[in-house]
Amino acid sequence: MSHSYQAVGWNRQKKIYDLVILIGVFLYIGIFMGIGSTLFPNATAETLMIRAFGTGAFVLLHIILLIGPLSRRFPSLFPLLYNRRHLGVTMFLMALVHGAFSIIQFHAFGDLNPIISVFVSNGEYNSLTQFPFQALGFLALMILFVMAATSHDFWLANLTAPVWKALHMLVYVAYALICIHVVLGVFQSGVSSVYHAMLGVGFAMIVGSHIIAGLQEKEKDKELNSDKNEEGYIKVCKVSEIPEKCAHIATLTGERVAVFNFDGKIAALSNVCQHQNGPLGEGKIVDGYVTCPWHGFQYRPEDGASPEPFTEKVPTFKVKVIDDVVWVHPTPNPPGTHQEPVVVEKK
Amino acid sequence: MKWVSVLLLILISSFSFLMISNEKEFDNSTFEFGEYCTYEGIIMENPYPRILIERPGDTGSLPKYSQYYLTQFGKFGGGEMVKGLDGKKVSLEGALIYRDDQTMIEIKNNSVNHDHTSENERVFNFDSALPKKSLGIHTLKGEIVDSKCFYGVMNPGNLKVHKACAINCIRGGMPPVFVVKDQQGNIGYYLLQDEEGGAVNKNILDKIAEPLEIKGEVVKQGNILILKANPTSYRNI
Ligand code: HEM
Ligand code: FES
Repeated sequence: MSHSYQAVGWNRQKKIYDLVILIGVFLYIGIFMGIGSTLFPNATAETLMIRAFGTGAFVLLHIILLIGPLSRRFPSLFPLLYNRRHLGVTMFLMALVHGAFSIIQFHAFGDLNPIISVFVSNGEYNSLTQFPFQALGFLALMILFVMAATSHDFWLANLTAPVWKALHMLVYVAYALICIHVVLGVFQSGVSSVYHAMLGVGFAMIVGSHIIAGLQEKEKDKELNSDKNEEGYIKVCKVSEIPEKCAHIATLTGERVAVFNFDGKIAALSNVCQHQNGPLGEGKIVDGYVTCPWHGFQYRPEDGASPEPFTEKVPTFKVKVIDDVVWVHPTPNPPGTHQEPVVVEKK
Repeated sequence: MKWVSVLLLILISSFSFLMISNEKEFDNSTFEFGEYCTYEGIIMENPYPRILIERPGDTGSLPKYSQYYLTQFGKFGGGEMVKGLDGKKVSLEGALIYRDDQTMIEIKNNSVNHDHTSENERVFNFDSALPKKSLGIHTLKGEIVDSKCFYGVMNPGNLKVHKACAINCIRGGMPPVFVVKDQQGNIGYYLLQDEEGGAVNKNILDKIAEPLEIKGEVVKQGNILILKANPTSYRNI
């Protein structure tokens, strides 16, 4: 892993993010319970606590799910993306407080094991309005637990990236479960229509932003097969279209390639970071290394290998520049293969 | 960076305010948690355990005894704690739970005292102390709640959010009460019994916290209204 270049500014920033998260959580819970007990003196503290943590976790989950698609659109949000892991763990802890308090309040001190009671006390699984909504919350909490517990890079390495990624796609299952948990739970007890509207807006934002982001990806993935020369190179773009130290992302026979322009040279690497599949082409060249925008893993543009002592390697691609036009061969070299960058002739 | 953080925190605060200020009003109910007092009275074990406490002086039009349902810590009725004491005089320590004119006592562990002197052993005559009066057959619309939570231990203590808890409590022997709201929001409280006057807890677990219609005989006993009907005749609406 290559964090050397970000040791100073970046860690300070990271600490500020964590501090903002922490203060944010305290403010949210404090105001919810403080104002709540003033406006509604009849409400019990347990009820306010359960609602403060439940809504807080749910709102945070919306933010987490929105960061991905939004940061595609607004790259200035990338720093939030780096910190999504801490947001995720915070969200899990808030949901845990909510769930634990609910289990104690509604299921403990009776004649059943509290966890079993969550699933069997209300057995009306065949009714919609009476459905045991707490069981859905419990399942969602289990998913969030597995995600929070495996969020560390240790697990990413041990589970392998595809398994890890699939596991973390379960967040959408958890989100759906929680939406139903709210609609079949507290919404069945008659709440203000403001909450209905808020859930509607939140749900629409998440679905909408993912659809838009998906369409944009599709657009990017339009294959460039039209202009192929006799050696099999595919026409990608003009040199002048690639900003200095940045990349143009092209999809060649199903694989995304990041074509970098730096110091008068052109080099092409796989777009997929070995860490968590971050988009290398959305990163920059920093200190001579292609640097992933997500967590800062670095790769040499010449051979796609991370600097010592790191061992990550991505595939490189053969490049030609003819009359200011970049051509790339779609067959990847084995990861770490040296591929001399092409020097662009100055006109 | 600094201003973005401050702005974010202001946003979070406003959002929190928006969330809490749109909550619906909470009803008035009380649980004097941990505030134990000593009560002396007569135990009535069936169908749901209560203690009858004599009102001091001339009670006029009020019943001679006020009645408190009994519960113990957690989701259990007070039956175990007063077993075998039907009609006997006891003293016990407990914390009060109340809502409108409905009252309940959560008995403190090991605080029930029964004095075995001969005077105390005379079994009490409930029918003369609290005569029952039929008010005829009525059809009522409402919701079954567990008296403990609804009277004050939880708030809200009814509807869907509280359903699973109410089922646990009623299975644990809590007196089930049928709550009927009129147009002004005033609540009528009807203690549920079967046609023979027995407890119905085990037979109504799939009917709790749902909109129901019950047709049955309403009986007044002291300040408690009883609704007698066969649980199989309860109708979902
Ligand atoms: C063990 C797991 C869970 C249990 C037992 C549980 C139980 C409950 C209960 C009883 C309520 C209604 C409380 C009331 O309003 O009086 C509720 C509401 C809610 N739950 Fe959960 N829940 C669980 C997990 C979750 C998770 C994982 C989330 C989301 C992150 C969540 C989000 C909410 C929200 C937003 C509400 C509506 C606000 C509220 O009424 O508190 N719950 N839950
Ligand atoms: S550094 Fe984490 S995905 Fe690239």
